[in-house]
Amino acid sequence: MDDQKLDKILENLDIPTPDANAKKRALNLAMAEFGAHQKEKEKNSQGFGFFRRLIGIANDKTDTQRRDPMAEKSRKKFIYGGMATAAAVIIVAGIGLNMAPQFGVSQNTFTDMTYEVGSPQNASVKNKTAPANIYRQALEERKKQDLESTKGAKNNFAPAQKEKAAEPKRQRIESRAMDMQAAPMAPTAQGMTGTYHSKDEAAKQRLNIQPMPMPTVKPMESDALVLEEEIQPQYYQDVGRDKFEDFKENTFKAVSAEPVSTFSVDVDTASYSFMRSQLNSGVLPQKDAVRIEELINYFNYDYAVPEDKTQPFKPSVTVTDSPWHEGKKLMHIGIKGYDIVDEKPKSNIVFLLDVSGSMNAPNKLPLVKNSMKMLLDSLNPDDTVAIAVYAGAAGTVLEPTKVSDKAKIIAAFDRLSAGGSTAGAAGINLAYQLAEQNFDENAVNRVILATDGDFNVGIQNRDELQDFVERKREKGVFLSVLGFGNGNYNDHMMQSLAQNGNGVATYIDNLNEARKVLVEEASSTLFPIAKDVKIQIEFNPAQVSEYRLVGYETRALNREDFNNDAVDAGDIGAGHSVTAIYEYTPVGAQKMVDDLRYGTADNSEQKYNLDNIHNKANFDTEIAFLKIRYKLPNEDVSNLITTPIINDYKFLQDCRENTQCLVPSAPDDVQFATAVAGFGQLLKGSKYVGHMTYDRVIDLAQSGKGDDLFGYRSEFIQLVRLAKSASAMQPR
Amino acid sequence: MKIDNEDDIIKRAQKGDTRAFEQLMAHYYDVIYAFAYKYCGRVADAEDITQNACIKLARSLDQFKGKSAFSSWLYRLVINCAKDWYKSQSRHPENPDAMESVKTNAQGEEAVYNREILTAISALPEGEREAIILVHAEGLSHKEAGDILGCKESTISWRIHEARKKLSAQFGKEHHYG
Repeated sequence: MDDQKLDKILENLDIPTPDANAKKRALNLAMAEFGAHQKEKEKNSQGFGFFRRLIGIANDKTDTQRRDPMAEKSRKKFIYGGMATAAAVIIVAGIGLNMAPQFGVSQNTFTDMTYEVGSPQNASVKNKTAPANIYRQALEERKKQDLESTKGAKNNFAPAQKEKAAEPKRQRIESRAMDMQAAPMAPTAQGMTGTYHSKDEAAKQRLNIQPMPMPTVKPMESDALVLEEEIQPQYYQDVGRDKFEDFKENTFKAVSAEPVSTFSVDVDTASYSFMRSQLNSGVLPQKDAVRIEELINYFNYDYAVPEDKTQPFKPSVTVTDSPWHEGKKLMHIGIKGYDIVDEKPKSNIVFLLDVSGSMNAPNKLPLVKNSMKMLLDSLNPDDTVAIAVYAGAAGTVLEPTKVSDKAKIIAAFDRLSAGGSTAGAAGINLAYQLAEQNFDENAVNRVILATDGDFNVGIQNRDELQDFVERKREKGVFLSVLGFGNGNYNDHMMQSLAQNGNGVATYIDNLNEARKVLVEEASSTLFPIAKDVKIQIEFNPAQVSEYRLVGYETRALNREDFNNDAVDAGDIGAGHSVTAIYEYTPVGAQKMVDDLRYGTADNSEQKYNLDNIHNKANFDTEIAFLKIRYKLPNEDVSNLITTPIINDYKFLQDCRENTQCLVPSAPDDVQFATAVAGFGQLLKGSKYVGHMTYDRVIDLAQSGKGDDLFGYRSEFIQLVRLAKSASAMQPR
Repeated sequence: MKIDNEDDIIKRAQKGDTRAFEQLMAHYYDVIYAFAYKYCGRVADAEDITQNACIKLARSLDQFKGKSAFSSWLYRLVINCAKDWYKSQSRHPENPDAMESVKTNAQGEEAVYNREILTAISALPEGEREAIILVHAEGLSHKEAGDILGCKESTISWRIHEARKKLSAQFGKEHHYG
């Protein structure tokens, strides 16, 4: 960082032109104040010289200006001298009362103090000149000291608090300043330990408490200013401690070896918003943070919606050419759940908020509070809301309250501040207790956890926590997770909690995202329409030689899990859309995986025998067979939807009449989803990027933008541009 | 940034000439606003701070005795206003759009990088931030900045040095092309 660079940046600052109204308002206020001030002046200086003195204090300022400067100085000297002498007397008395050993502070320190405050006549001069020199030395000193001394300083100081009343005022203010400083700027407080410092050093340390030398020479004011400076919030920012699950990208699989692909749906969007916040700060997200299916599913697609809720969704399938590999095809499978419009179920919601110190940043707790207030607006008046918080310990902030009593709920949110801790049971236990206390069989009972990730409440072991959430889920209380902040974001934990709690894991990086998740898509976030949704695809070896599932790596299931209702899978909320993309090589095109020279080992299994399949003429048009299993929210037995996927335009035309058949999705949506998938692969540094580039992604997305009512797709295009420039900036 | 016969106008305003004061304010509003914006980086905050500074100026113009340049005196007043304002804000810590970013003239990658630096500057300790803004954004010398902030020239140099060290630690290594 050199001068020129800084100069250039700061001089290039584009200062927005001041708002004309704001300017007018400010000028009017200033003029009014000016007028009032002039009047006061006039009033105060009425009368003859003799009376003027009697008016006194209000007139003081203008009066002193007219005085001889020498006289003014001597007058001040007299007053401050007197005050300082008085202070010294009190300090000495204080020392007498609280003799050193009680504090564990050596007498050395106290002699220092007396010395300092006890030379009042030049106190003013000292304040003006000394700190500037000493501040610098003290700063150097500070860097040398290690953190160990903090403990000593704190411990030594604690008992002193009890004796506060006996201390003189000035010392008390300093001690407060020091308390505040003790944590974030540890070594500063060291002066108080005194024991292992020479007299001289201790003095420097003490002055260090006033890092800003005062422009004016008033001792009382300097106290106030010291306090003011310490109050400045000191944000603690973790860097590079975000935790993501490590996973490997799906590879091409030969249909002859593995004809069936099974996975669970994933409607989370956390990965997209996390990526956005990283890109907006000019860095590429780490590769494990990019889950392509979450990027794709961030957007809403216009897939066909079923008419009734007995079958909550209907698959749409479209086949297109792969934009990143010649000769390969992409198969889009889109599912959209029906949307609850007027028959919203009742909700019983418990907010569990992280108010630990690390949440003390503008993009954390304040954002949490505002997001929660937004969510209130999307609830019905007779829904109930409760708030529990956790920091060092956990506590209830708001007992279950009807949403109609909004003022009370908002007041409870406003009371929250980061860093404070309350007593009680551990956070998650408490939240579930609150939810169960108000449990309603017909309502959606949900705990919404808002945190930056270090989920160190009560149960700390991740597996144990998952089990706990899982057991509660079986009882009917679900868990959703809202992630905030970065630097120490534990994505892995959030994902596994939400998955086990039948909820959604979302990441909120700004108010706009909060609005999207909690207002526009509130019904999908809150109301599940189907749970344990699993998808299984069987490819037809006569049509497809190899395939690869794009994304869903963390959601892969075993083939045998599909029909096992005990195996948990993803959930779909009202109006959620889910998209899966397969890339496949049609038979005859150039393959990634070589054929086996000796054929399949098990010839007794005739399943994949091509002759067999060709005998059945019906299969000729089928690329694959799609099976979806789901459970309705209150049921434990799964339902099955099956449909063949046909790559034949004519056939599809006939199919239109038949509602059981597939409908192709809107071409815009398909194109856009493809662009997002391509972008995800670029960000991940995928092996299957092919000839995709950021520019191609932008072109594709532009042409697939559609109506884009809320501007999310335009924002995506902007992000691709950011990623393009950020990738140019990455160190090689 | 001086207006013609500024000294005269100030003197008249100090004596209670409303028109002179109006003239002074009309000119300095933009100056104060620009400085406040650099200090806090947000339009809404800058407007609030500027308004407070204007009101304060109406009251305390009498105290300007012409010992230093009026602009230096004004910087100090604005800095104090900004500090007071932040202090009052910390009691109502509700900044929903706290992430509104500072804009720069630069394009593309530069803009992303610049924005990060500006954010980093606003996270510096108060003294260092003031020093950096006065010296680098306002183009004052260390001595002038020292006079405004009421500390020695060497203190300013030290703060600039410290601040730059922090910024380099954060950006120096990351930022190289290719």
